[in-house]
Amino acid sequence: MSYADYLAGEPLIVTAALTGGVHGKEANPNLPETPEEIGRAAAAAEEAGAAVVHLHARKPNGERSFSTERFQAIDDAVRAHADNVVVQHSTGGTGAPAADRRLPLRTDPSPEMASLDMGPLNRYDHLTSENTRGTVDALHEEMRDRGIKPELEVFNDGHLNEVHGLLERRDLADPVYTTLIFGGGTLTRPRPRNLLNAVSNLPDRALFNTLGFGRHQLPLTTMGILLGGHVRVGLEDNVYYRQGELATSNAQLVERVVRIAGELEREVATPAQAREILGL
Amino acid sequence: MTCPYLEYHDEADGRQFDQPRAYCTAAERFVQPMRADICNDRYALEHEAHCEIYHEHAEVPEP
Repeated sequence: MSYADYLAGEPLIVTAALTGGVHGKEANPNLPETPEEIGRAAAAAEEAGAAVVHLHARKPNGERSFSTERFQAIDDAVRAHADNVVVQHSTGGTGAPAADRRLPLRTDPSPEMASLDMGPLNRYDHLTSENTRGTVDALHEEMRDRGIKPELEVFNDGHLNEVHGLLERRDLADPVYTTLIFGGGTLTRPRPRNLLNAVSNLPDRALFNTLGFGRHQLPLTTMGILLGGHVRVGLEDNVYYRQGELATSNAQLVERVVRIAGELEREVATPAQAREILGL
Repeated sequence: MTCPYLEYHDEADGRQFDQPRAYCTAAERFVQPMRADICNDRYALEHEAHCEIYHEHAEVPEP
């Protein structure tokens, strides 16, 4: 994907990351946690222009959960409230054993997409989310068996190497879909030139989605629109609308990126268009 | 062993919760959902090894 795709009018897929698994209502009371809250947030995000919802599960006390049952409850709520949005489950998680990481893939029906972290990353002072190649391959194998499209999450430039390596050792269906992630810690440093660099190092014909944490969500997703890529926004990645002002909802963040896309003459993909683009 | 600084509160900062939420009494704030796995020593996590807040307050040497 490239600036030429932007000029050619490639529709923009907006993913809404509704809740995440790191912070909760203590960071922003508007962040949805229960299945009902997540279902309603998905519907509002879809109404605002999101084609895909990226989902994590929470226990009733707000702590994260990997259980199939909890993801099922969320999916049921999303499908009850939303119209036709694409469901994408997270398999990421610091410290969680590989067996638990598979559980979000086992809902009925399976999610259409699921995240696949491409390598290790650090959290806090002493935590590493390992994501060994063995874990990556095992998760991919179960996704393939269940007909789930992997969303390859690239947290830093080393993970770009891992994307190329994954394509060499495993058979992924086209189009390969990556999410380029920018932030602190072991993530790629959030600078415009680094997005350009990451895009230039993607495999040929791979699609990309741009994810900037915190204050970088707005500028980097805008840049991603111009580079012909897709974008992800939401309270998982950014709890603020602007400095010092908490976002009122996921939909508010989706509405903003949709407005920007409109000003940049980029059509926003419907869920049906997103399925066609992603080959779901 | 659960971290000795962990408590579950059903209200804090003027807000009430249906389910008690993890609260770090050392930092005097809610812990993040992922950090609660460390507080509770879930999976292979241990607060004594992985929580910098515990280290600071317990004055134990970092591993």
